[in-house]
Amino acid sequence: MKMLGRWHPRSWRRRPVAAPGSEVNFEAATTSGLDDLQARLNHWSDLWTKGNESAIRSEAQKLVAERLAKWMEHCFGQHAQSSLRGKSSQISLASSTPIFTAFLGRRATRELSRRVLQDL
Amino acid sequence: MPRMVRLIWILLALHLALGMIAYAHFLVTGRYVVLGWYFSTLGTLFFLVMTAIECCLALICRSWFDSDEPMRLAWGMIACAALARLGGVLLRAVSDGHLPWGYWHQFSQLPGGLFTNLSQMGLVVGGPLSMAFLAIGLGRVLGIQRKFHLLGSLTRADKALLVLVVAFSVSQLFIILPLLGSHPSLGTMLLWLSDPLLSLLLIEAILVRRSVIRMGQGLVAKCWGMFVLAIVVTSAGDAAIWASSHNLLSESITALSWYIWFVAAAAFASAPAYQLAAISLTRGTSTHLMGK
Repeated sequence: MKMLGRWHPRSWRRRPVAAPGSEVNFEAATTSGLDDLQARLNHWSDLWTKGNESAIRSEAQKLVAERLAKWMEHCFGQHAQSSLRGKSSQISLASSTPIFTAFLGRRATRELSRRVLQDL
Repeated sequence: MPRMVRLIWILLALHLALGMIAYAHFLVTGRYVVLGWYFSTLGTLFFLVMTAIECCLALICRSWFDSDEPMRLAWGMIACAALARLGGVLLRAVSDGHLPWGYWHQFSQLPGGLFTNLSQMGLVVGGPLSMAFLAIGLGRVLGIQRKFHLLGSLTRADKALLVLVVAFSVSQLFIILPLLGSHPSLGTMLLWLSDPLLSLLLIEAILVRRSVIRMGQGLVAKCWGMFVLAIVVTSAGDAAIWASSHNLLSESITALSWYIWFVAAAAFASAPAYQLAAISLTRGTSTHLMGK
């Protein structure tokens, strides 16, 4: 009955009841809070990119691109990468996910992404 | 080559090898006994197995897409096309009095005058109905390929073929329209849709072929390439029927042309097998080896 009630037209017009204490106005975060967050993020970034940071990052990106290119070749063909838009830019998970999702499905693409990012 | 695809083509090779023995018997003796038995019994069994494989694989492919994904509808339509083809083969097998299980032909006269018999109903279900489902499915795939700019521009040969297909469809209209005056059954009229639908499928196949050429030899590309092959072979089989009905082919060549339908059935079954191989590859359950 409850399930059917959700489809009743009267329930469409009903406005949600305000939760107790919903009158509380949220104030914008203080500048000190934002500064604190920024400081923490910078700290983590520094830790991540310590030493020969740019080399590490580019190696990982290159490996991902290599793996993706292999998958692209296996699934679509050797020319698929170049026939896609943005052929000048290097292949990335962000740029290749839409085509993998369209032709292989969301679940298969999730598995593929997991395999591409394995050991990285 | 994925295991399932290999299995399908090995089955086809074995079936054709048996068929060649029957054909050799026909050439030597000039009698249709063995050839007729081969096509009516083994041929029907082969079609049943192939369409059942195609239907099951297409349904599995469909299940890999969520309800909001466009390819789910495409694979759903392809599964419906395979199911219609399977239904068509079953209806024709049931109504064929020459087959061991064909005693049902006594009941094959259908009431109402929509279809003259079960065999005609089978032809409609396995022909125009199946083609309509496939045309919708491939249309959806073309839409997705266009979205990703995978559709290549047509060559002159493609354009010439398209003009030929359209001209053939228009010429068929001039043959069909005068026949409407003789009040044909619904089944007969539906069967007239076969040629226009096949023309539409050929047009789609030409466009899909362009995208396959653009992509290369990947599993997904091969999947759609198999549909193209199946449609082209079906058209060739259709053309052979037309040519033999106009006495353009000799008796031996006509008999040889019947084998083409087995190739089409195998190609149709291979298409979802390739798609499933691509999906299995991502899950690591495929026989393909994938380096890191």
